[in-house]
Amino acid sequence: MAMVAPTTYGSSPALILTKPARSLAAVAAASASSESVPACQVNVHPLVLLSVLDHHTRRQEGAGRVIGTLLGKRNGDTVEITNSFAVPHAERGDEVAIGKDFNRQMLSLHLRANPRETVVGWYATALPDEATGESHCIADTSSLIHEFYAGECDDDPIHLVVDTALKADAIALRAYKSTPVVIKGEPLANMFHEIRLSVRSSEAERICVDRMIGATDSPDGADPTQDEGEALRVSMEKLLAMLETCSEYVDKVVDGSVPADDALGMDISECLSSIPRIRPEAFDKMFNDSLQDLLMVTYLSNITKTQLTIAEKLNESLGK
Amino acid sequence: MAAIFESSSPVTSVKLEGLAALKIIKHCQESLPTMVTGSLLGLMIEDGCLEITHAFPFPEPLNDKGDIVKTADEANVDDEAAALDGHEFQLEMMKMLREVNVDNNCIGWYQSMYLGTHSTPSLLDNQLAYQADLSPNAVVVLYDPMQTAHGSLVLKCYRLTDEAVKLKTSGKNTFINPREIFQEVPVTLNNPGLVRSLLRDMGDGLHGPYGEEGGPDTTFDRLDLSTNPYLEKHLEFLCTWVDDLASEQYKFQHYTRSLRSNVDTRNKGRKAKDELAQAIQEGWTKSDAPRRMESLLMSNQIRTYCDQVEKFTGGGFGKLFMTSGIHKEEKTGAN
Repeated sequence: MAMVAPTTYGSSPALILTKPARSLAAVAAASASSESVPACQVNVHPLVLLSVLDHHTRRQEGAGRVIGTLLGKRNGDTVEITNSFAVPHAERGDEVAIGKDFNRQMLSLHLRANPRETVVGWYATALPDEATGESHCIADTSSLIHEFYAGECDDDPIHLVVDTALKADAIALRAYKSTPVVIKGEPLANMFHEIRLSVRSSEAERICVDRMIGATDSPDGADPTQDEGEALRVSMEKLLAMLETCSEYVDKVVDGSVPADDALGMDISECLSSIPRIRPEAFDKMFNDSLQDLLMVTYLSNITKTQLTIAEKLNESLGK
Repeated sequence: MAAIFESSSPVTSVKLEGLAALKIIKHCQESLPTMVTGSLLGLMIEDGCLEITHAFPFPEPLNDKGDIVKTADEANVDDEAAALDGHEFQLEMMKMLREVNVDNNCIGWYQSMYLGTHSTPSLLDNQLAYQADLSPNAVVVLYDPMQTAHGSLVLKCYRLTDEAVKLKTSGKNTFINPREIFQEVPVTLNNPGLVRSLLRDMGDGLHGPYGEEGGPDTTFDRLDLSTNPYLEKHLEFLCTWVDDLASEQYKFQHYTRSLRSNVDTRNKGRKAKDELAQAIQEGWTKSDAPRRMESLLMSNQIRTYCDQVEKFTGGGFGKLFMTSGIHKEEKTGAN
């Protein structure tokens, strides 16, 4: 990416933003409970997080952090981040260069493949501070990039930060919204307010993520749930554990060691009453019917397979 | 398309990165019920191991390209124009991804499949094009949204065997063992360290309530006792495919008969028998002879269905007997 002199928005291939003065600092508000910002909820899909981390590992040598565009849907106050793509950028002191053309082209490519998603904000990894060795979620240049994205999306952009420094033994995720701080009509600073963030996945994503979590436990990366019987065992064990937790809780309430909770009690009784009571004769009939169905289907599929094998053998010996 | 493979050893295993897997799943799942395709990027690493690190979807117009066999032939025709567009899209996307240091090797493609339906002429032709034009090591990854809904992720990776490629490129109309057309390559999900630590955090519920609000728990999908819809669908498919196979057989018989009658009318001499055999031999090499590949693919597909049914009923029996066991215990407990 070429570094060109600061020009106007439209024509430059790489947009360079320079801060007018030191005073326009980005301030990360510590509390999410600020009254001025409407309650907002961000749901991020695991795909986005994985893609941010992938981008981070593939960053240019010497680059402090990486940024990219977040795509998703807005639904009132909830923002669903479903997709993202990396955008090349460079930071030098107070200057930021963003691959503006890259962003636009990539966006149009993404929209062709999936027209339902729109730009909802941008992501960055935490910026390491050379002097102290610590990392900051919000850097001074953040407000400049934020301004750029404010022009790219319809509503207030969301800023997602993935802290890859691993200082606290975990990968921290934060989402911010920004409001300008204006004093006497002069924009002075950008205030980044933290907003609620949770990881949400669709059912299929969840199955995949669960499998990957399972794969990290076993050393060879093999998945124990591939075997039908084994998968059943895992599910049953989990069910049993949950039932035990539940009955333990009920026992404790009966003992009086745990105060009773009406809502929980209602939930438990609702759960129990949702199990249909089946008379033994009816169950036996049902059991036999299903068993016969299954046996029938197995028989059919086996007969088909045998036929195929015979056909193969015939073909092999005659086809020469 | 830039395809640089250092090693010539054939692919024996595939390492699929979580990122690519999720991208495939997202694309296939969101475009349901349309069957969609996309491109895979990655690297060939040592020992015949192929690493897939990135995937991106093809735009909408290409969607029908790999549809279920019934519509594939018509779809391919109207896609001619769109395919060019799709190719440009692919090149453009790869150029963009290169700028952010993503692996720039196209190593294959992915597609969503419906209940394990993979043995279709269109998939065969597509994969052949990839293996012939791009690299002999190209693979196709298939994701099955229907089977995944039962609780276990179904991602399969296939490539054509050398015999199948030889047969297809030579244009011969000979027999090949249906099981030796496609070769399944084992897939393992693989993640870099950072992603692994994130997954661990997510599993521990560090990032918000992963359990309830973060989406439904899918562990219990497997305990679903209703086996009928799934099996019915399978039987339905089996019926259609067996019917197709039968009509294919009929074509073969018809053709053989027509060959025989041709010889008979021309020749009533004593060498008729030899000539008949020869004519039949020649007849099969003609271009208008029915292709064997179609029926071979069908029998391969029927076998796949049978295997799936077997696997499913195996689990079904287990569940059924477990339920009966629980019920018996209840009865004795109540007495």
